[in-house]
Amino acid sequence: MKTILYVEDNEFNRKIVRQLLSRTSYRLIEATDGEAGVTTALESRPDLIIMDIQLPKLSGLEATRQLRTAPETADTPIIVITSFALAGDEQKARQAGAAAYLAKPYSPRELLGMIRELAPEA
Amino acid sequence: MNPNDSELRVGSTGPVPAATPGLGERLPRLLLAYWPLGPLVRRVARTRASVHSKLLGAFLLIALLLIAMGAMSLRSIATVAHQSRLLDQARERVDATRQIEHALGLQMNFMRNALLLRDDATIESMFRENNRFQKTFDHLEATAPPEQRETIRRLRTAQDNVMATVARIAGLIREDKADEAMDLHLSEGYPLYREIATLVTRAVRAEEAGMGQLREGVQATYRRALLLTGGFAVASIFLALGLGFVISWSFILPVREAEGFLGQVAKGDFSASIDVPNRDEFGALARQMNQMSRELHQLYDDQRRAALQLRALNAELEDASRAKSNFLASMSHELRTPMNAILGFTEMIRDGLYGEVPPDIQEPVSDIHTCGKQLLGLINNVLDLSKIEAGHMELAPTEYVVEDVVNTVKLSLRALAAGKGLELVTTVAPDLPLCLGDGKRITQCLMNLAGNALKFTAEGRVEIRVEQEGEHLRFAVADTGIGIPADQCEYIFEEFRQADATVTRDFGGTGLGLAITKKLVELHGGRIRVESEPGKGSTFFFTIPVRVTQEAPA
Repeated sequence: MKTILYVEDNEFNRKIVRQLLSRTSYRLIEATDGEAGVTTALESRPDLIIMDIQLPKLSGLEATRQLRTAPETADTPIIVITSFALAGDEQKARQAGAAAYLAKPYSPRELLGMIRELAPEA
Repeated sequence: MNPNDSELRVGSTGPVPAATPGLGERLPRLLLAYWPLGPLVRRVARTRASVHSKLLGAFLLIALLLIAMGAMSLRSIATVAHQSRLLDQARERVDATRQIEHALGLQMNFMRNALLLRDDATIESMFRENNRFQKTFDHLEATAPPEQRETIRRLRTAQDNVMATVARIAGLIREDKADEAMDLHLSEGYPLYREIATLVTRAVRAEEAGMGQLREGVQATYRRALLLTGGFAVASIFLALGLGFVISWSFILPVREAEGFLGQVAKGDFSASIDVPNRDEFGALARQMNQMSRELHQLYDDQRRAALQLRALNAELEDASRAKSNFLASMSHELRTPMNAILGFTEMIRDGLYGEVPPDIQEPVSDIHTCGKQLLGLINNVLDLSKIEAGHMELAPTEYVVEDVVNTVKLSLRALAAGKGLELVTTVAPDLPLCLGDGKRITQCLMNLAGNALKFTAEGRVEIRVEQEGEHLRFAVADTGIGIPADQCEYIFEEFRQADATVTRDFGGTGLGLAITKKLVELHGGRIRVESEPGKGSTFFFTIPVRVTQEAPA
């Protein structure tokens, strides 16, 4: 069973992913800010991380950078969710070490496709 | 006054000293330090007269001196000429007197011969000499100075007596009374001759003495003339040199002063002022320069103040701009996060994640999704326009294929077109090269135009055409819709403008699509325009460089 970490401060958006994954074999763990996201990732060693770009305490980009340099999570694929949609957002996400990039508002269907691609269900 | 200003003021207000003064510089300085040249230079400078008058005055003074010298010389020459004439006359008189003496001697000689020979020819020759005396005496009397007249008169009397005696002797000889004649000659003739000889000697001596005086007079006149001429010449030279020095330095000093002053002003020291005693053009110039310096100082201060204000304002603007940028970023996030939830939940309901959707609920769910998408579109437009206005819209040029762009638009709008029963046609010229530009933004532009075209067209078709025109791609979106009145065509690209206020009511929309499209096209270095005929349809054209090479012009 694959574990997915979703770092997002908005309860409704967490709920979407929670319900989206409820019918799948993925196990979801959640964190509500950047610092908690990094700590949880290092402790739980998930198979995939979904990281919102704008988070309290520590930005999603910075958290991604930290996770990339930590040996425990260096190879864990990370999907960065942005909402800025400014020129260069995708580039910034890739530079920070994201495996994929998805702009808010995303389609749950699309997100699920991306998850299955990066961490296929066992 | 800013305290920094005082650091700028270096040195006094005096003229800037030359680096190494040579002799040409030291000598005038030395001369100026002593009386009378220094005070004279200041006096000339203070004289209330124009430069022209001062120069003319100096030249006139020298010219007057030269004229005076000429007059004195002429007078000396006249004096010498007069004295020479007197000298000549005196010499002539001496000659004449000597002639008389000579003739008298000759007459005595003839008389002696007559006494010995007693012939008529000799006697006649004795009388002939007599006539010559008369003319000489006339001449002598006419030119002799008054003191000589007495001597000459006595000479003449003596000569008359001699002539009478000679006549008597001649008579005696003719009468053959030789002894009596001899006696008469010895008793009267000879003494008379002696007297005449004495008178002649006296006259000659007197004349010679006069001549000596005259000669000395000529010498003295000559010496005086020499002295006068030399004196005037030396005076003229000194006057010319002195006046030249004084006048030129009364001009040079203010010019030097001005030079130093301007040097300080040029270095930004506006505290300097120029002070010259001149009351001529240089004085006026100095006053003007001081005025100029004051005005410059004022301008400089104003400009500094303005620059500081500008800098402060600039900092404020930068802060404001940063704040706006941050606001835009956070607004973008804050608005999209709930939109994400709304659209996400709706999509999952539609996808049956929560179980089969009852048929009567399907439509409202679909409507929620459509309206949510519309709301998202509006939010995106407002944010895009704000970003463009704030100068934060940056293009992300990548290589793209025009066909993909057109297909994306076609796929997105196919449902809308089909729903309205409209034909959506796309024509992309074959062999278009791989292009460089912000493909997403170009897609957005084409989507806006094609979306509008579908919105404002009730029946007929909407066509998207793309072809290459030199270095540009030419996109055209043609419809068979309501069209745009000619007088509205120029306004439709402005923000919040639709051709008619009722349009908003009938067709919806914020009127931002065209404004954003125009700005995005221009950001790419392209142009947009519209051709329209009300009731028949409109065609929007825009061009984009095949390869957007640089940061697009604002």
